[in-house]
Amino acid sequence: MSKTHAIQLNRVAKEYRRDTFRVPVLAELDLDVDEGEFLALMGPSGSGKTTLLNLIAGLDRPTSGEIWIRGQELSQLTDSELTRWRADNIGFIFQLYNLIPVLTAFENVELPLLLTSLSRKRRRDQVRTALRVVGLSDREDHYPRQLSGGQEQRVAIARAIVTDPYLIVADEPTGDLDRASAEDILDLLEQLNREFQKTIVMVTHDPHAAERAGRLLKLDKGRLVDDASKSRLGAVS
Amino acid sequence: MKFLGYVLRNTARNPIRSTLTIASVAISLFLMTMLVTYLAINNEVRGTVKAYNRIITMSSQGFAQPVPIAEVARIGAMEGIEAASPLLWYGGKYQEETLAFAQFGIDGDTIFKIYDEYSIPPDQLKSFQQDRSGCVIGRKLSAERNLKIGDRIPLKGDIYPFDMNLTVRAIYDGPENRDLRACWFHWEYLEEGLKRDFKGKGAGNAGAVVAKCEDGDSIPSLCKKIDTLSLNSDSPTRTQSEEAFLKMFSEFAGDLRVLIRNVGLAVVFSLLCVSGNAMAMALRERTREVAVLRAIGFGKLLILFLVLAESVFVAVLGGVVGSIGSKFLFDFFDVSRYSAGFLPFFYVSWTTALAGLAVAATIGLLSGIVPAALAVRNSVIDGLRKVV
Ligand SMILES: Nc1ncnc2c1ncn2[C@@H]1O[C@H](COP(=O)(O)OP(=O)(O)OP(=O)(O)O)[C@@H](O)[C@H]1O
Ligand SMILES: [Mg+2]
Repeated sequence: MSKTHAIQLNRVAKEYRRDTFRVPVLAELDLDVDEGEFLALMGPSGSGKTTLLNLIAGLDRPTSGEIWIRGQELSQLTDSELTRWRADNIGFIFQLYNLIPVLTAFENVELPLLLTSLSRKRRRDQVRTALRVVGLSDREDHYPRQLSGGQEQRVAIARAIVTDPYLIVADEPTGDLDRASAEDILDLLEQLNREFQKTIVMVTHDPHAAERAGRLLKLDKGRLVDDASKSRLGAVS
Repeated sequence: MKFLGYVLRNTARNPIRSTLTIASVAISLFLMTMLVTYLAINNEVRGTVKAYNRIITMSSQGFAQPVPIAEVARIGAMEGIEAASPLLWYGGKYQEETLAFAQFGIDGDTIFKIYDEYSIPPDQLKSFQQDRSGCVIGRKLSAERNLKIGDRIPLKGDIYPFDMNLTVRAIYDGPENRDLRACWFHWEYLEEGLKRDFKGKGAGNAGAVVAKCEDGDSIPSLCKKIDTLSLNSDSPTRTQSEEAFLKMFSEFAGDLRVLIRNVGLAVVFSLLCVSGNAMAMALRERTREVAVLRAIGFGKLLILFLVLAESVFVAVLGGVVGSIGSKFLFDFFDVSRYSAGFLPFFYVSWTTALAGLAVAATIGLLSGIVPAALAVRNSVIDGLRKVV
């Protein structure tokens, strides 16, 4: 084995059950993502991108198939183990930032660390480091409403990386931002990928954003349409 | 506790809602604390009077009906009775106060034999007994209104047409749990005034008769005897031990205790609804936030704990204001002086105050459970999809 797969999906299917009938969303999906890869997922609305991301991040469970992350098959975990696993392995970035409005930037970033046994001082050091990476050291006492959308998203990124997670998932992280702010966020993700070798899966509607990723996959009606090996976007352009 | 900050911020999110919840808990607990204290004090006082072997005779028709003054002599002469005195409620106005303090027309020769737990300097007692318009006042009354020996106490009649002009001749003291704010004057002084100035209107009335028995065992038979003897007269009497009398007086025939308990339960229940509703609303607004916390690894139990901590905190804050607040309020501000002798003292015991706090905490806990359980039951992915 030359390389560990960060993410490995084997014949993963997902359907939602609504009352009596079923809504199939993902069908027999296979996917390998290497450690340190920056993967962009594109596709029309309703094609199942968020659903797929949620499965990879351990927020939801597939109807069938296996999901291996860092050598761990997720269906082996109970709900509470899965919650714990997310805390240890996943950094989340959402389209709508999802910061806690009553907490300062510092406190928002500190939240995931409260689940660890780190000392107060260690937590503070890590929060400061994360805020420095996203360039918001001077804003740690600001509340979300005192920040611009781009800054809020950077705080959210700091929150996602503060625990040094194995995998970062981002669902349309630039979807609500103007061009310039979006570029900042993409720069940041690229930096995380390149400098810190973070594995990143990013869902996006924006072809510009997708270009920044090392690899692009398209999802259509629950199927991955591009072959993974042929879609090295960076090599094409 | 590293989550404390988050819990506190959450309660401050909607200050109006939190304040209203706190206020409703506080007001209810304040009232409950007062009622419970009232009962507790009456209980305490009643428990102590038993030792004094006193009985009180009133009209079988109730308080407002007179008891002929001849009853005093009749009861006083009975075997087993040490001494008897009229006990006439005058109910006059002092300066501008309507319910100033208790004023009783009594027999100056016997009253301190009957209330022998009180102490009075012998020379003062003597000078009171020698002055028709003299009066004896309690130590607290003297201290609170700065009334000294020789001072005048003008009282304006309310029940009786005759206005009295009393002179303080003596100051009595006694145990803390007795009424140390009463004003005792000579029954004859009022009687003479009524006869002289008002053609005897309202005269001849002892009000009630208080008597001291030689021993406690004979109280039931003495009461029965007194009432039997007056049964066929124009004014039948009802005699009971001082303890029973106070109980009747303070609890309106005993229903009050049951009533207070039932009202208390109703109050607790409605507080559960108020606080539970506030919590449910608060969490509804935070559906997405709870989902985010769950996504980044907060477990169900932790969320449950945070929600309960929040609702307990709000309710306990109300409890502190209402229950502990009432304790300090009444420690600082003794309302018993305005009770015209009904309450010898009024203070909220720590037991009562802490029980109130415990009730508040329980309300917080119970009211948080349902909203908290509903909040963690929501699916994380649905919560994240929800756009508020
Ligand atoms: N909880 C649910 N119950 C039923 N159907 C659902 C549920 N969640 C998603 N779906 C359906 O699954 C399909 C895929 O949804 P998903 O959110 O993954 O799409 P998406 O590619 O992320 O779309 P968008 O680009 O608009 O975010 C949609 O048809 C959606 O209606
Ligand atoms: Mg989506």
